Amino acid sequence: MSTVTETRETEQATRKTEGRTGKSGARKRGRITDENGRRMPVWEIVLRYLLLLAVLALMIGPFLWQLSTSLKGPHENIFSSPPEFLPGSPTLHNYERVADTIPVWDYALNSLKVAAANVVTNCVGATLAGYALARLRYRGRRAATIVFILAMLVPVEGIIIAQFTTMRELGLNNTLIGVLLPGCISALNVLLMRNAFLNLPYEIEEAAYVDGANVWQRFLRIALPAVKGTLAVVAIFAFMGAWDDFLWPLIVLSDPDRFTLTIGLNYLHGTFANDERLVAAGTVIAVLPLIVLFGCLQRYFFRGVGEGAVKG
Amino acid sequence: MRISRHPRISRRAAAAAAAIAVLLPLSACGEGGDGGGSTDASGKIEGEITFQTWNLKANFKSYFEGVVDGFEKKYPGTKVNWVDQPGEGYADKISADAAAGTLPDVVNVSPDLVAPLAKAGLALDLDKAAGKYEKEYLPGAWKSHQIPGMEGTYAFPWYLNTGPLFYNKRLFKDAGLDADKPPKTYDELFDAALQLSKKSKGKTATLANIPTIEDFGRYGVPLMDKEGTKFTFNGPKGVELLKKYKELYDAKALDGQALNATPESTGKKFLTEAVAMNPGSALDLGKFKKEAPSLYKNIGITPQITNTGKDNMYVMGVMVNTRTKQTPAAVAFAHYVTDAAHQMSFAKKVAIFPSTEGSLDDPYFTKEDGTDDTRVRIAAAKSVKTAVNYTPVLFSEQMKIELRNSVGKALQGKESPEEALDNAVNNCDRLLQQS
Amino acid sequence: MKSSSAVTAPRTAATASRAVTDGPRKRIRRQLPSSPWLFAAPGLLIVGIFILYPFVSTLINSFTDKRTLIPGEFVGLDNFRELLHDDMFWIGLRNSTLYILGVVPALVLLPLLLAMLVQKHIPGITFFRSAFYTPVVASIVVVGLIWVWMLDERGLVNAVLEAVGVGSVGFLSDQWLLLLSAMTVTVWKGLGYYMIIYLAALANVPRELHEAAAVDGAGAVRRFLTVTVPAVRSTMVLVAALSSVAAFKVFSEVYLMAGPNGGPAGEDTTLVMLVQRVGTGLTGRVGYASAISVVVFVVTVALMLLVLRADRKEDA
Repeated sequence: MSTVTETRETEQATRKTEGRTGKSGARKRGRITDENGRRMPVWEIVLRYLLLLAVLALMIGPFLWQLSTSLKGPHENIFSSPPEFLPGSPTLHNYERVADTIPVWDYALNSLKVAAANVVTNCVGATLAGYALARLRYRGRRAATIVFILAMLVPVEGIIIAQFTTMRELGLNNTLIGVLLPGCISALNVLLMRNAFLNLPYEIEEAAYVDGANVWQRFLRIALPAVKGTLAVVAIFAFMGAWDDFLWPLIVLSDPDRFTLTIGLNYLHGTFANDERLVAAGTVIAVLPLIVLFGCLQRYFFRGVGEGAVKG
Repeated sequence: MRISRHPRISRRAAAAAAAIAVLLPLSACGEGGDGGGSTDASGKIEGEITFQTWNLKANFKSYFEGVVDGFEKKYPGTKVNWVDQPGEGYADKISADAAAGTLPDVVNVSPDLVAPLAKAGLALDLDKAAGKYEKEYLPGAWKSHQIPGMEGTYAFPWYLNTGPLFYNKRLFKDAGLDADKPPKTYDELFDAALQLSKKSKGKTATLANIPTIEDFGRYGVPLMDKEGTKFTFNGPKGVELLKKYKELYDAKALDGQALNATPESTGKKFLTEAVAMNPGSALDLGKFKKEAPSLYKNIGITPQITNTGKDNMYVMGVMVNTRTKQTPAAVAFAHYVTDAAHQMSFAKKVAIFPSTEGSLDDPYFTKEDGTDDTRVRIAAAKSVKTAVNYTPVLFSEQMKIELRNSVGKALQGKESPEEALDNAVNNCDRLLQQS
Repeated sequence: MKSSSAVTAPRTAATASRAVTDGPRKRIRRQLPSSPWLFAAPGLLIVGIFILYPFVSTLINSFTDKRTLIPGEFVGLDNFRELLHDDMFWIGLRNSTLYILGVVPALVLLPLLLAMLVQKHIPGITFFRSAFYTPVVASIVVVGLIWVWMLDERGLVNAVLEAVGVGSVGFLSDQWLLLLSAMTVTVWKGLGYYMIIYLAALANVPRELHEAAAVDGAGAVRRFLTVTVPAVRSTMVLVAALSSVAAFKVFSEVYLMAGPNGGPAGEDTTLVMLVQRVGTGLTGRVGYASAISVVVFVVTVALMLLVLRADRKEDA
């Protein structure tokens, strides 16, 4: 945890290698090496792939089972033993029924609005605050850091009614803004950004300072571009958090036109509790956008990880 | 969870609001303050009100849109906003709204939800505001929203719900029981259950649910004193019932997973013929037919098990918020949605029963037409006339959990039935005093 | 957001607190005097109004007998005294503690092994890394629904067990199996997250160490114990801190699998579940629930400090 800056360069070098070999480089060169360039024996490669596939089955299997259940028609036995892994006659009927029951696209749009806004506010707010905590020198910086750490330790389930009362005092209950606000700059994200800025070498900024760049210029032109990876991590966390949240939107929103997807899908659970196919279709609708989003951003995400976003 | 009367904190919140208003564009749609309306419902019926239902949108959207349209046409100058909340978290939703003063004008409630709202002065006393409508409803239904220790009636009765008990004739026959003479009382039920498990060597359970407060009621256990100040289900009769259930549990006549059962899980057990009896509604027959044809061939339908001669029913109500600004319109709408004509048309959409006087004599509830649905409906309508809402109005969600956990401990043998029920009653009494 | 996923979206206090001490160099110091606060203001404002202010009012409430619809009166330490005699509180404390004991060792060790598995750059490894991260991305509610369906009496797992002749297992009905199932889900969902943390740490292990050990003829197990583990030890401490704080606050997994009642006879109730159960609804005892929240908060802060201290010793 304490060697982050020192090993910066080694890591970057490693990442570059990874980028090449991760794609097709390895195959082109016709041999497989480990990160030290050492050639790997065939038995080890086979063993590694076997293990990887086993873990893959464990991690992805449950999602595929859910997908398979959601595609099974009304006359297929979903309880059979031994289980049938593939639907006999795949159908999108269950998805149609979900859409008939609840205005799933409207709810998805609401979720999307909140999630997108949450990404923007968290990226902007957490970056600014993180920069202030890491780079700027002023009285009370330590106190401000402790405020964010404490905020992170508060058990949210215990304060939800108090949060609602606050929201009511602000007149923001039953609005999507009310859904957004409490998490719109999360303490965790602020601390992640702070950590990312701390890991940047000071020398670059010092050079800019000598050249007469003011704090905004240093922030926007130098510090910010260097933490893009962590920003991707924050963006994904922010999107996930908003998209997945259930209890808070339920409490804040009264008007069904403003419901988010998780609340809407809850209707399915209540109304069709006995129909596993429908519940499965609902969960697929809820989880697919996240997987797609992650798939698109994963390159930046793993780079962010390399920058030390989630490590000490 | 708040201290809004504290001027210092309110000022701080106001400052925070100002600060936020600078930072973010607001699209606030705040409702008015807590300043309430009147209890006088005799004024002109006009203005905008909000009506909140409980998990009805998914299946009855067009019905409610029709009701709202009808009301707005009948009383020009009114506007009704209908909102529906998901089944899960409904009590959380209502309590957050109630605590913050944002409860809708007209709210779909059940008796246990009305009680705390009435105590907090949030439910309109209809004996005062709408007493003239009392005679339109079944007397028992009207009384169901009265609260022990308080004067008044705090919600219009809406739909009633009861259902028969389904049983699996094949499993009964396999155990050497007469499949055409299902048990009617608890003693008969216990005998049948023990025989079923004995003959199947513990493979077939008869029941999948542990006893709830309704079971205690139907067994004839006095649940609460008249004044509504303490619970009494730990008496000899209550202990007797729990002992019997323990015997069933040990003999596997009560399903091993009953301690953690949900309505969905017990439904599935019955569907797969792992359990011989399960409560249900007319809706279930169609499901059996579709999902479990072999069960459907052997399905038996019988009234609920009861020692008192009276079935259990659930009552839904519609209350009016005392803080509404449009008391006349709110009361008028609450009455409109629960009047005989609307309850009847709603009943025809779904397997529920109207709580209005005379509605149950409608041919819809009395005339056989040869179908299963009608058969179930007629039987249930007959029992609903005498049925009782056994669950005491003051029995809160937390108390249900107390009872459930105590029963669980007794069945597992961690506590004796006496001990378990004494504990449950003590804890419930304490919760009662604190509510 | 208010994502209730406990272990899987850990609140990383430790990540941040280490560097508090090695603050910015002095040369970057003359700037517009107002700007630092301007930078931090939005974050401080949001966190202050929507997290800390409600928490302070919770703290105040813990000394009152406030209920959902009834303003409370000051009752001193009564709520805390009542806790000592509340069986459910002790069950909650037991389960939350068991959760730490069950989940933390698995989350410290398994992701490390997983990270070593995906560390080598063999073809397709990026796909495997992303795939292993998928459970982290999915919402806890969805994950709960998926696993309830998997572990159902007639779900996939039991269907497989029956097909191989083991017979059906009541994962969702036995009090201990339920807790174990919930822990399994927590671990399953957290593996990818901590794998990534370890992956970053493994990149920092100097290869010379491995080579030297290999020359010495050390086997794979021995190299793991003598080279890898010491090199990532501080990361293991971090992972232990994050996962134990999250495990102590566990709510969603147990709530979704054992039900709001907390399993048979409530034996699977965790502390945060108890907060939710006692304090919500129209008859909620807000004061008493607040007292439990305060206990959870104090224990979490203590856990954090404990681990940070261990970490500081590590650095020294």
